[in-house]
Amino acid sequence: MSLNAYWAYGLRIHAELECPELPSLPDATSNPDVTVRLLPASVEALETPDSGSYEVQPGVFRLMVPGVARYRVEAGSRIFVTPLPDVPAERLRLFLLGSAMGALLYQRGLFPLHGSAVETPWGAMIFVGAQGAGKSTLAAHFHRRGYRLLSDDVCAVESKPEGLQILPALARFRLCADAYERLQSPQGASFDVDKFVVPMGEGYCPDPAPLTAIHILADHESATPVFEVLRGFDRVQQLLENLYRPHYLKGQATQADLMRMAGMIAQQATMVAVARHRDPEAIEELVSFLESKWTRRFTLNQLPAATKEKN
Amino acid sequence: MRAYRPEDKLSRTQMLSTELDQETVLMSIDAGAYYGLKGTAQCIWEQLETPLTFSALVDRLVEEYEVSPEICAADLSGFLAEMEREGLLRVE
Repeated sequence: MSLNAYWAYGLRIHAELECPELPSLPDATSNPDVTVRLLPASVEALETPDSGSYEVQPGVFRLMVPGVARYRVEAGSRIFVTPLPDVPAERLRLFLLGSAMGALLYQRGLFPLHGSAVETPWGAMIFVGAQGAGKSTLAAHFHRRGYRLLSDDVCAVESKPEGLQILPALARFRLCADAYERLQSPQGASFDVDKFVVPMGEGYCPDPAPLTAIHILADHESATPVFEVLRGFDRVQQLLENLYRPHYLKGQATQADLMRMAGMIAQQATMVAVARHRDPEAIEELVSFLESKWTRRFTLNQLPAATKEKN
Repeated sequence: MRAYRPEDKLSRTQMLSTELDQETVLMSIDAGAYYGLKGTAQCIWEQLETPLTFSALVDRLVEEYEVSPEICAADLSGFLAEMEREGLLRVE
């Protein structure tokens, strides 16, 4: 079995299956942080939960996706995949890079938000919100305007001595994994593999970036967007509700740490409720609107040289 | 109002918690409910980290705040009953 080396969420990943969605790691010799192994069905069959369910225990996560595979994630460093017969490789990866990787991030004590992030001169900006709130669409529009994408669908936040960082990663087929897991349909849902293909290289930021703000997207009727900085403890609630697969939190050995981290993120990052009209024509205006808000709010703190120039 | 006996043993339930702006934020992962505690409520929650009798808790609060034991016991009963209703407190 050939070995493939990748780099995502700040982790060196060695996988027994090809994952073209992940950035390749040129150096495949160094010790990996995460290994992904394929197991034959005979080994794994007895250990996983019944069809269509998941199980979270300290350090161990198990998921069975009917018609696709069984997944086992251990100690934040090992993923075992047991494919069911005749499963197409992209379906196998859908849950590997979504659910299984999400569980692995929890195990490693990273804070995985369900959203997309872009790198800006003011720091990393995350967009979260309910299903269909337009997180990826907004990130894609920023990307088109020349901002580098940090992560789509899952944003892993890490707490470092120098502050909170977003770890870059790529995942191309976001929404359908979610929807499919909720459906738990034995015959399998129709898989519309996401059309939004992120170009590697210039459009993608491969390095961790300091977190500046988290935007919670919502709809409203007025044509004028609203940018409201959140206060109080509902910031913690917003963070936990916008976790990637929030139901994976319960039972994790790291859940107390993740809760403490929610407090830290709420304290250190700016959290903003962004309400806007869902007119597709208005999205470019929303991008400009956010740029002007960020310039006013974050420029003084972080780029004193740039503001001096203006005066 | 719920009356507590001096010897009632109080212990707080296991909750996920974090600190934010001098507030303690609790989350009940089963109920999906959030609680923000500040001031006296926060102090009571901290006191209950190890199980304590009602009278011992009153003593500690009287020491901490300028209040008579009678008023303290009455106010405390109201708050403890609320905690019990929300599943934040066990009484034995």
